[in-house]
Amino acid sequence: MATPETAHERRRPEAPREESGRVTGTLGQGVQFVLGTALVEYGRRQQSRRGTAVALGGGALVVRALGGPAWLKRVFTERNGGVTERAATEPAARETAVSRSITIGASPDDLYERWRDPETFAEILGHFAEVTQLDGDRFRWTVHGPYGQDIGWETHVVETEPGHLVRWETPTDAVLPNEGTVRFQPAPGDRGTVVTLSVAFDPPGGTLGSAALEQFDIAPKTVAGVALDRFKSLVESGEVPTLDGNPSGRGAGDAV
Amino acid sequence: MRALTWQGRQDVRIEEVPRPEVVNPTDAVIEVTATAICGSDLHLYHGRVPSMREGDVLGHEPMGRVVEVGSEVETLAEGDRVVVPFTISCGACWFCDHDLYSLCDNTNPNAELAREVMGHSPAGIFGYSHMMGGYAGGQAEYMRVPHADVGPIKIESDLTDEQVLFLSDIFPTGHMAAENADIDEYDTVAVWGCGPVGQFAIQSADLLGADRVVAIDRVPERLAMAREHGDAVTIDYEDEDVYDRLMGLTGGRGPDSCIDAVGTDAHGTGVVATSDRVKQRLKLEDDRPTVLREAIRCCRKGGTLSVPGVYVGRADNFPMGPLMNKAITVETGQTHVQRYLGPLLDQIESGNIDPSFVVTHDEPLEKGPELYETFNDKEDDCIKVVLRP
Repeated sequence: MATPETAHERRRPEAPREESGRVTGTLGQGVQFVLGTALVEYGRRQQSRRGTAVALGGGALVVRALGGPAWLKRVFTERNGGVTERAATEPAARETAVSRSITIGASPDDLYERWRDPETFAEILGHFAEVTQLDGDRFRWTVHGPYGQDIGWETHVVETEPGHLVRWETPTDAVLPNEGTVRFQPAPGDRGTVVTLSVAFDPPGGTLGSAALEQFDIAPKTVAGVALDRFKSLVESGEVPTLDGNPSGRGAGDAV
Repeated sequence: MRALTWQGRQDVRIEEVPRPEVVNPTDAVIEVTATAICGSDLHLYHGRVPSMREGDVLGHEPMGRVVEVGSEVETLAEGDRVVVPFTISCGACWFCDHDLYSLCDNTNPNAELAREVMGHSPAGIFGYSHMMGGYAGGQAEYMRVPHADVGPIKIESDLTDEQVLFLSDIFPTGHMAAENADIDEYDTVAVWGCGPVGQFAIQSADLLGADRVVAIDRVPERLAMAREHGDAVTIDYEDEDVYDRLMGLTGGRGPDSCIDAVGTDAHGTGVVATSDRVKQRLKLEDDRPTVLREAIRCCRKGGTLSVPGVYVGRADNFPMGPLMNKAITVETGQTHVQRYLGPLLDQIESGNIDPSFVVTHDEPLEKGPELYETFNDKEDDCIKVVLRP
């Protein structure tokens, strides 16, 4: 049986991933590496010109064991080098169509109702766009770009199946045509509901979408993932976790 | 207000920062009366935890008085004296429902970042990097505490701050480590690391019925504390071979349970330890798994390895073969502090344990920068620092 997790994996489009940069060395590389590091340490402890030479030689072995300077250069260019930077240096995913899932501890019917509530809908998307209800099923979305420019569009809810699905889309002449669907499916046992959000910008046939996404720094994969997080937290815990007003030496109100 | 902030590797400073306020309706704001430096703060101090930013307020072992509550806070009121757990938990998600509070789904505003790195996001933690939530910590005059009905525990007796403060982290952390060690009658439990978490793991292993606890470290005053307060047999790993001694103590069986209360910054000796240091410096490895390697080698077949020590990323030369072939069970995780607050406060109130025995330094917040250095260098017999904002 497909668990929600495996189903989620299957549906999720493959993001381009950089090799994570581990030392997958052969035995020879391993020996070189250990010998190299031992020489570095030995040389360092000598604190003499000869010691320095030994340490440098050891360093060269280490570099060789790691597959050469190009690889090392990349390591050194990663600021602070920790795991986050490795992840953060992966090229931002700009797939124009993404689908992500989350499991929320409520029934499909309740979640459908919450999603249809205009106030909740605006809050779910608050990290990405200002969303205001125009009338009934029409919404105005405004996204603030990184250089102070705004982009906006209107969406229309075009399909609903209470307890199952909501689908919306922009008119085809929108500046950034896009569409979205949220689906609700019961999760096994006491786990609630699997909520899957699919969004597509510039639906098939154009390249305008990905260019606009770059320009406005919109990463659909993140937009969808965070929207689901916000929806889940709002429904389960009554609030969206926030760093508003969070104090630091940089001032109040942090964000990464 | 004044706060201790992270500025980079081995650089923490007192800075003037904005005073926090209630933002969400379940928030409380606490005026901090006592706040400790944790061993895991040293991982931040070493610049080893990713996604820290200059100016981040440190600290996740605070207590104080409630000065403001949000409109939906029901159990706390202005003036209440509380200890604040380091984990922020919503109390409503599947994980909180299953008492897995440190895995709460709803308290990390940067969950997407944690997911990129780890696959999933654990709960938000105070003062412990942006990947873990980005929340300002408690080494400050005031702090904002989200989900105030779920975390902070009210102290209504006249116990001193030093007696209850460690409910925030290290006492529950040591206790959960011992609980995870699956201790039976006649069992020998080996604890690597005699810092504060190790000390509480030793005490809790004893409380949970271990036949004997063996404590491993290299700092004389920490080993002495383990002997005096924890009734442990001690091994100084710089003086003797840990494997040989443990086999000698257990008739060759090995300790039934091994607890790694050291984590990512293990020192160790020999070529492999040196190789770890170099690789870490070159950013080729995040963690130095010296203790994990030794514990897996020493652990009894079919035994349990419990890991309260904090690791931050990836480790090389991890002995997966021995772990698999010896059928060792691994238990780990950030502490589900909320699970232990009530029961452990009872233990303190009934006089079964007085956690203040670990305190060696009790000073004003202003001395924080200097005491980070003292604690890091293990100078002045420093084991646990309490700061007063």
